[in-house]
Amino acid sequence: MFTNTLFLLSAALTIGGAFAVVYSENLMHACIFLLASFFGVAGLYACIGADFLAATQLVVYAGGVVILMLFAIMLTGGTANNFNRFGLEKIAAMGNKKTYFMAGITAVVSSLVLLKIIANVLRNQSSAALEANLPTVERIGTVLATDHILAFEISSVLLLGALIGAAVISRPRTEKND
Amino acid sequence: MINLGTYLGISFALFICGILVMVARKNIIAILLGIELILNASALNFAAYTKFSNNNIDGHIMSLFIIVTAAAEAAVGLGIVIRFFQLRESIHIDDAASLQN
Repeated sequence: MFTNTLFLLSAALTIGGAFAVVYSENLMHACIFLLASFFGVAGLYACIGADFLAATQLVVYAGGVVILMLFAIMLTGGTANNFNRFGLEKIAAMGNKKTYFMAGITAVVSSLVLLKIIANVLRNQSSAALEANLPTVERIGTVLATDHILAFEISSVLLLGALIGAAVISRPRTEKND
Repeated sequence: MINLGTYLGISFALFICGILVMVARKNIIAILLGIELILNASALNFAAYTKFSNNNIDGHIMSLFIIVTAAAEAAVGLGIVIRFFQLRESIHIDDAASLQN
C-alpha cells in the first residue's frame, strides 16, 4: 500500500516535471521542474528496491547537476538574455514554431519506433507478486570492486579528466592566451 | 501496478520529453536539460530490468556509471557554454555556426 502510493506520487512527479520542462517559458523554472523530475525518478528507484541508486540520484543530480545548471543560467545572463550584442532580438529560452514542428515530427517518429520495441512487454503484463527488496549496498560494493573494477577505475579517470577539462575550458580570458 | 510495463512507459515519456526539449529549444543550457532527461530515462530502464527480469545487480552498476557519465558531461558542457558566452555574449544555438561558413 505504501509502496503503491509512493509509486503513484513519484510517477506523477516524474512525468509532470518532464512535461513542465518542455513547456515552461522561463529557463529558471524549467531547471526547477527538472529538479522535481529528478526527485520523482529517485522515488521510482526506491519503489523497486534500488536504495543505493535512489540515494545517488538525490546526491548527484538534485544536489550537484541542477545547482550547476542554475549557476550556468545565472552566469550567462539569467533569463533576461533576449538580445545578443548585435542588437538582434533572440528569444533565448524557447524555440519558434518551426522548431516545435520539427520536434513534434521527431517525437512522433521516435514514439512509433520505441512503442514497436516495447510492445511485447506492454502486452504481456505479468502481475506476479514481487519478492521482497533486499538491501543492495553490500552487493553493489562487492560487484563494483571485483567484476567491474576496470570500469570503476576508468570512470575515476573520466571524472578527473572532466574536472580538469571544465576548469581549463571555462577559465577567464587573459591577454596572453587569447 | 508496479511492473515492467509501467516502468518502461514512464521511461518512454521521459525520453520523449527529452527529445522534445533537445529539438525545440534554442538555448544551449535548455538542450543540456533535455540530455539529462534522456540519460535519466536510460538509467531508469536499466534499474527496472534488474528488478523485473533477473535479480542480478549488474543493471544497478550500469545505472551508476550512467549517472557518473552524466555528471561529467554536465560539467564539461556547462564549461563550454560559459566559454561560448564569454566569446559571443549569447547562448543562442544559432550563434554557434562558425563551422558552417
